[in-house]
Amino acid sequence: MDFDWTDDDVRYRAELRAFLQEALGRDWRGYDKTDHGAYKAAAGEFCRKMAEHGYLTQSWPREYGGQDASAWRSAILSEEIGSPYGEPRGSQYMNVNWIGPAIMRFGTPDQKAYFLPRISAGDVTWAQGFSEPDAGSDLASLRTRAIRDGDDYVVTGEKIWTSHTAIAEWIFLLVRTDADEKRSKGISVLLVPMDTPGLTVHQIPGVAGEGAFSNPVFTEMRVPVANRLGPENGGWAVVRYALAFERIGVAHYRHAENQLNAVARAANARGLGDDPAVQAKLGEAWEAIEAARLLYYRVVDLRAKDAPPSADTSIARVAGTRAYQLVADAADLVLGEYGLEGVGRSRFNLTAGITSGTTEVQLDQVATKHLDLPRPHVGA
Amino acid sequence: MDLSPTTEQQQIIDALRVLLERNAGQARVQEMVRAQAYDHELDAVLDEAGFLDMAAAGLGPVEAGLATIEVGKAVGTVAYAAGALVAPRLLGANPKVPVAITRMPADFPVRLAQHAKLVLIDDGDEARLLEVADGDVVAQPNGGVGWPMGKLTQEALGKARGLGPGTGETLRRWWRLALAFETIGVMQGALDLTLLYLKTRRQFGRAIGEFQTLQHRISELVITLEGARWVALEAAFRDAAPINAATAAGRAAGLANLVARECHQMHGAIGLTREYPLHLWTTRLGPLAVEMGGAAAHRREAARLRFSAEEIERREAYWL
Repeated sequence: MDFDWTDDDVRYRAELRAFLQEALGRDWRGYDKTDHGAYKAAAGEFCRKMAEHGYLTQSWPREYGGQDASAWRSAILSEEIGSPYGEPRGSQYMNVNWIGPAIMRFGTPDQKAYFLPRISAGDVTWAQGFSEPDAGSDLASLRTRAIRDGDDYVVTGEKIWTSHTAIAEWIFLLVRTDADEKRSKGISVLLVPMDTPGLTVHQIPGVAGEGAFSNPVFTEMRVPVANRLGPENGGWAVVRYALAFERIGVAHYRHAENQLNAVARAANARGLGDDPAVQAKLGEAWEAIEAARLLYYRVVDLRAKDAPPSADTSIARVAGTRAYQLVADAADLVLGEYGLEGVGRSRFNLTAGITSGTTEVQLDQVATKHLDLPRPHVGA
Repeated sequence: MDLSPTTEQQQIIDALRVLLERNAGQARVQEMVRAQAYDHELDAVLDEAGFLDMAAAGLGPVEAGLATIEVGKAVGTVAYAAGALVAPRLLGANPKVPVAITRMPADFPVRLAQHAKLVLIDDGDEARLLEVADGDVVAQPNGGVGWPMGKLTQEALGKARGLGPGTGETLRRWWRLALAFETIGVMQGALDLTLLYLKTRRQFGRAIGEFQTLQHRISELVITLEGARWVALEAAFRDAAPINAATAAGRAAGLANLVARECHQMHGAIGLTREYPLHLWTTRLGPLAVEMGGAAAHRREAARLRFSAEEIERREAYWL
């Protein structure tokens, strides 16, 4: 076991920090997301700078314009880009982390030629059309229907809790192409332009501060068959592949650590730095962050060694969620009523256990795959 | 960064499992616990196999930590971590006699003290060493905990000699690391047994491990324990650096009572019987959870160091 970074990793991190300081400016304090156009332009400009320096798709294979960067370099990038002020790539982190890799793995030559250069140039923004009103954790029960009609699919249905639709040009859409198959076997993936006739987006106000929920509705929307990613009715394999990347694509522990630093700074400023209860709570949250960091590193290590996918990803994800929750507790303890001013998000950290697979779904994975327990018995 | 055990580390783990199965084992531990005895024979076997003097074999704290976890899983009644991880940093080598560790005022029961030949005492800036003579330690009724306990007399405390300025800090950080590994090993043993029980115990016509409510509970514990194990391993790799050691100890101590409670709950009544072995692990967790003041004390130390104004600034210098 070796917990030290290599000299090469240390050099890389230093270069990356220098780039981030230069590209964002030392006084960067996050994007104003209320102005969608300005937000999209600023995140796009930053992504293009990353692309110019080779950082944006560094983990991709060279044949697709990447640098074959190691899993450890991806982890370092996730850590360094996890600023206290939000994700400077906007939603483009999804492109790089899982949409691009899914297209590389399952795309036709035409799809690869069209999408991959745009993603690696930082020129495209995606939304993720997975959840439906009756298909959340039970994603395989989704009902948005795509009926083949010549060279098109005709899509009718809706998605919900969809982020980034206000700025996206494309949506990565899960649809049911075989109505007789109730579960995962009848699902396909369509890559759909957001300006396709028949697609209407209703915004949904959110409570957790991100204000990015929406409800895209599809009314006899025609999508060319050529836009299908992977085989017809073979979309579930694409989703599983994509989610394996998504669940570990973000260094959640680093966000949590940034929040906890802010809480601790507030504690010191308010003269609570020596308060035993405050110290105990800060220490508890810090432990959870450290545990999440190392469990995340464990997944990176397995990926660097080309180990097959395992429940270690779910273990790391749950640990990250628990860390967030303890940080929120620490924030309440330290800030008290002062926390009611501004930074609402860090007080709740409500989204951590829900996005990209609820904690309960992750725990199912741990129980059945890591502990080798039987598939759960449901109902009495 | 490489988080796989080295070949040597894996060999240590494998060899210890065989050795412990042969020489510790549930029947023997039951006997030790009943007699409130110390397993000198196990110590001798560990010594013969070279596991007591890791440093002499060119092995470091990570290897000693991995070994401590195995001894804890097997509920060996020996002071393995105190001898292999803590004592060498203060005495130069593993003294290869039973070592107990406590802190001033030391007027409370101390784990394994009634069998100790040496006691290390945290006295603030300085650590002290007591070479135990007859009458220095009074055996304590152990009140149902799974360790033999003893109390040091005031006279004995007066005899303990100082090990030099600054040795208190050395003792505390290595003690925290040792405690983390011991606790993790015992928790792992309790969870392994509980997982086996969930797979074999049938109720309502099926293995109880099919019920999601139990699956999620044991999964949460396993996730937290796995995190604690990695935090401790990194702390060992960093030679018990103060923040890492306190973090590791807090993580393990904070989980100990929860693991004990949940393992009993998932077992139901059988876990409360003497003939079923769960108590061998769970009754060891209580004393480990409160040693050095328990999770809150470890956490206060971690926070004091990690969240000082200077340390926050150092770590966040880039974003400021």
